[in-house]
Amino acid sequence: MKLVYTILISCLALIACNPQPEIDNATMLDGNQINDLSLTQPSKYLVSEYIANPTTAQKDTPVIIAAHGYSATTFEWDELRDRANLKKTFYVSQVLLGGHGRDYADFKAATWENWQEAIKTEYQKLTTKGFKNIYLAGSSTGAPLLVEMISSGYFNAFTIKPKGFFLIDPIVVSSNKTLTLVGLVGPVLGYTTSILETGEAGKWYVYRPQESLKQLMALIDLTRKNLEKGIVLPTGSKLKIYKSKIDATADPVSAPMLYKGLKTNDGKNVEIEMYDSDLHVFTRLRGRIGVIAKDTQNQTAAFSDMELQVKL
Amino acid sequence: MNRKTITIVFLFLSVSVLFAQKIISRDLRVGLVMQQTQYLYNENGVGLDYTCERLLDKKIHIKATYLSSRLGSAIGTNALKQDYYVFGAHYYFMSKKSLQILAGLNTGLFVVDYENPAFDILPKSSAILAIETGLQYDFKLPITASLTAGYNVRSGNGVDIPGSLFPVFYKLSIMYRIKDI
Repeated sequence: MKLVYTILISCLALIACNPQPEIDNATMLDGNQINDLSLTQPSKYLVSEYIANPTTAQKDTPVIIAAHGYSATTFEWDELRDRANLKKTFYVSQVLLGGHGRDYADFKAATWENWQEAIKTEYQKLTTKGFKNIYLAGSSTGAPLLVEMISSGYFNAFTIKPKGFFLIDPIVVSSNKTLTLVGLVGPVLGYTTSILETGEAGKWYVYRPQESLKQLMALIDLTRKNLEKGIVLPTGSKLKIYKSKIDATADPVSAPMLYKGLKTNDGKNVEIEMYDSDLHVFTRLRGRIGVIAKDTQNQTAAFSDMELQVKL
Repeated sequence: MNRKTITIVFLFLSVSVLFAQKIISRDLRVGLVMQQTQYLYNENGVGLDYTCERLLDKKIHIKATYLSSRLGSAIGTNALKQDYYVFGAHYYFMSKKSLQILAGLNTGLFVVDYENPAFDILPKSSAILAIETGLQYDFKLPITASLTAGYNVRSGNGVDIPGSLFPVFYKLSIMYRIKDI
């Protein structure tokens, strides 16, 4: 009987301890010295800040509100912004999700609704300023955040509806199925650790608190259930899914789930394009090592297609 | 020959073989199986459970189950249509009592239908390897109920196994029991 008590007490102690990671403030985004640059230079990232009083021509120029993925920062969309700055035919507004790009404590405390708030705020600001051609792009977890905004009827209250949505490597199902056990093993582990490449240091959180992993699981589970019921896009909106055929983060099965669950307002299917890639968020190459010609071709193809879509 | 025909032929042959052996005592259970995968679908189907004295005095049961989201979550929804063809061998503790504890190993085939050629490049099937444990109760009526939990050792990984093969599942079986056939 003593053995049983010892095992029980050990388990309870493990559950209660909720270990904390060792954070290197000098190099890690998780610390209190490095933050996402959009927090200190919002006018460089947000169109609503960059263009305080838009002209008629600016109001007609397409704007893509770009939302990054879980544990990432605005860095994930830098390359599309650079392309927009070069082409000057559309704008990219890079939103920093709530709880992201700050520190571990903020990340741990934020809910998925907090993550989403930044997207809603920018959409509201742009419509208030009179921008008419607004598109929303979400990479990885940015995608279910957008899909939830559609399914919950967020855009119903706006006269100006989004023109379209772009989902890059959207996550509805995690490739790492251990995430489905987060409720059980999360309190014991406390957090998980991700390995970053040198060029990614300071741009992604290294540590993923179990509280935020639970939020991620709750968001993607809600998204899947809503897709099963069926989600209709706002009037006049279109949507395209861009998905790597191999993805160790967002399971490619997310693509058929989204394709089946989403319909345009007039009952048509959304667009889907599968890419011969094994990268997660294949449109982000900066900071990666081992980028090959095929990766660059895929990125160019997706960006060109998005550019074409916003011109139509 | 399609999958449904193969399943029917398999079940027919299994039952025929069982009835052909008349020397030893055998038990057969047939009935409904309901599966809930954690964070995914409800998948229902039919199952068959066979044991005999030669199988460690009825301590080992051989099982065959067909489960599908077509008979569960996919009815009237956009859930993916996916099928499980499962064959298992389970060891029963306290096999002479009404309430038994069981534990075993399952194998078989998992198949998902994406219903669109755009997804032909994704993996559509996978071998199943799962562990399962739980409780079974033999009622006085010729009815047996079991409640089990299992873990798919092979589950979707974003590479070569369909992503809708999730690890944790729970099963409820309600079967009609034919003893000493």
